[in-house]
Amino acid sequence: MTHRQLRLLLALTFVALAAYLLAPYPGRGQDWFSTGINLGAPKIRLAVSDFQAQSTDAELVRLTNEFNSVLRNDLDQSGIFDLVSKSMFPLKLPVEPADVDFQAWSSSPAEAQMLVFGKTEIINSNLVITGRLFDVKNPSSASVLGKRYVATMNDISTRDAAHRLANEIIQTLGGGVPGIALTRIAFVSNRTHHDEIWIMDYDGFNQRPITSYGSLSLTPRWSPDNTKLAFTSYVLGNPDIFLFSLETNHRVPFPTYKGLNTTPAWAPDGKRIAFCSSMSGDPEIYVSDVDGRNLHRLTFSPGVDISPVWNPKTGNEIAFVSDRSGTPQIYIMSEDGTNLRRLITGGGDASSPSWSPNGLFMAFSWRVSDTGTYDIYVVEIATGRIVQLTHDAGRNEHASWSPDGRHLVFESNRSGSKQVWTMLADGANPQQLTRDGQNWNPTWSN
Amino acid sequence: MRKNLFRLMFLLSVLGFVITLGACHKKKVAVAPPPPPPAPAAPASPIISLTAEPATIEKGQSVTLSWASQNATEVSIEPEVGKVQATGSTTVTPAGSTTYVATATGPGGTQSASARVTVTMPPPEAAPPPAQPKVTEEELFSTKIQDAYFDYDKSDIRPDAQQALTADAEILKGNPSIVFTIEGHCDERGSEEYNLGLGDRRATAAKNFLVNLGVTANRIFTISYGKDRPFCTEHTEECWQQNRRAHLVFGRPSGR
Repeated sequence: MTHRQLRLLLALTFVALAAYLLAPYPGRGQDWFSTGINLGAPKIRLAVSDFQAQSTDAELVRLTNEFNSVLRNDLDQSGIFDLVSKSMFPLKLPVEPADVDFQAWSSSPAEAQMLVFGKTEIINSNLVITGRLFDVKNPSSASVLGKRYVATMNDISTRDAAHRLANEIIQTLGGGVPGIALTRIAFVSNRTHHDEIWIMDYDGFNQRPITSYGSLSLTPRWSPDNTKLAFTSYVLGNPDIFLFSLETNHRVPFPTYKGLNTTPAWAPDGKRIAFCSSMSGDPEIYVSDVDGRNLHRLTFSPGVDISPVWNPKTGNEIAFVSDRSGTPQIYIMSEDGTNLRRLITGGGDASSPSWSPNGLFMAFSWRVSDTGTYDIYVVEIATGRIVQLTHDAGRNEHASWSPDGRHLVFESNRSGSKQVWTMLADGANPQQLTRDGQNWNPTWSN
Repeated sequence: MRKNLFRLMFLLSVLGFVITLGACHKKKVAVAPPPPPPAPAAPASPIISLTAEPATIEKGQSVTLSWASQNATEVSIEPEVGKVQATGSTTVTPAGSTTYVATATGPGGTQSASARVTVTMPPPEAAPPPAQPKVTEEELFSTKIQDAYFDYDKSDIRPDAQQALTADAEILKGNPSIVFTIEGHCDERGSEEYNLGLGDRRATAAKNFLVNLGVTANRIFTISYGKDRPFCTEHTEECWQQNRRAHLVFGRPSGR
């Protein structure tokens, strides 16, 4: 082999190797991760045709507009659709199945695979919404879904109907995973000049206070059945754990202990709570039943042990934050405190673990160096592989998974103040949900 | 090898703690006294009189209450005074207008008499009573007691903090009735939740230091505010140092 041939061979090998290394990562995100969180499948091209009001009643027209924008936003935020731009729609929007021009919807420029359409009307003073999902590539048996909703003529009820239809469509086309359009987010807000617990719909609407203690209330966590919140309150003169029923709007008894008591976390069976307490003199992780019985201590390490979260899939492991190595780091242990291991070995300051609903991933905030800032990362627990989700956009912390595992809610100061944001679990599509005062410590309902 | 050593150290550091839950106090149920036996003959009714002199005072002045009773086994005056002899007098200093009621109870029944005392606000020119030259404990505390400052991500009591707390301990031991709170604070750099834990460790470290110098533990409350109640909100090291502290506050924590 001549020198020249050898050089050519080397060059070709290099090109082939480079192509091999770069090929699996087109654009953003890592394939293994997107697949693991259910965002890896090719997106379905979906046309969401505006539902047509069947009279000119002003209130019907207003609520229909609201319905259309909520439905479109829900489907857009779901992370599994590529929505057809309205400018590419055919001129005539369908009301009834017979109106659908399959050719127009399925060919260029719309190129839709699926079409959502329908109508709204007033029947017996109620808002009646008929929604349909058609497979426009398959005219012979196009109908995938047909639903009818009877709503009260107001915004809340109209939004609720849109969320329900969106959930049906997402579950039907998204591999059977239920949609999150009816979920809520709890967070802390200082908009009343006190730090209080608030909740809102997942899309940022309907923000309302849960506490008005005029004290300091922090670290809200949803019970697995979403009927209660656990949080930290200083209203009795000490950081105590409060359980609060969203059904009765009253506290549910939970013991108070001396010292710091904070970061409660519900076991997936809803029967036990892990929390941080310094009742022994040092912040440690404890577990008790929700009525306070069967209290036991899981950590015995000088230093801070805080922010426990349960493995939501198995309920037999707890992740938490400890500074036993010098800086805050994330550890995992069995629910009895044994089998302790450190999750992230990269150093820096790793905090705020949130376990993915499928049990495979941990979202966390990480400041890799002292001079850097916090960003949201996800680690695949079995392999230790890490993906960074936020980049160069202020300080990003305290991620919490949506129940479908496709989204994260987090706090960020990228807008100039600390606010609650959501994004897809691969880091795409950040959305700001709060704007009033400062808002942080978000946690997604189940 | 090193791993095994760590494991051994970890095992050795594992200590058992016994958590004693205080038993709830059971409320004592009041038992009604048995009814008195019926009187054999109608005994004489008690008689009582009550006067207040003067009947109108300025706030801060005293009134003499005088009373006399007959046929009574028990005489009491409310409010403030309580059970008294059958006949007598006492002085009271009501803060506001008050109706005193003397009740005489005897075998023949119960009688009461009342006297109204009207309290007026003193005229403004006479208002300020001579200023108390004595420094209150709260003033002493807020002028003399120093806070302890910490290094980043640390809860060790460093030399300047030792000095401050040693001086505090002398003052606190000289004023043993002072009850106070040590608030643990952190700068904004760590996560909110971790800082709650760190602030708790700072407050506890400062408390333990004072206790070791002889300040009784049951006078000291601790509370961690983490990074949620900063003293300074600039993003500079100077400001962060202000926020990394154990802040000593007169009295108990309030919840506000």
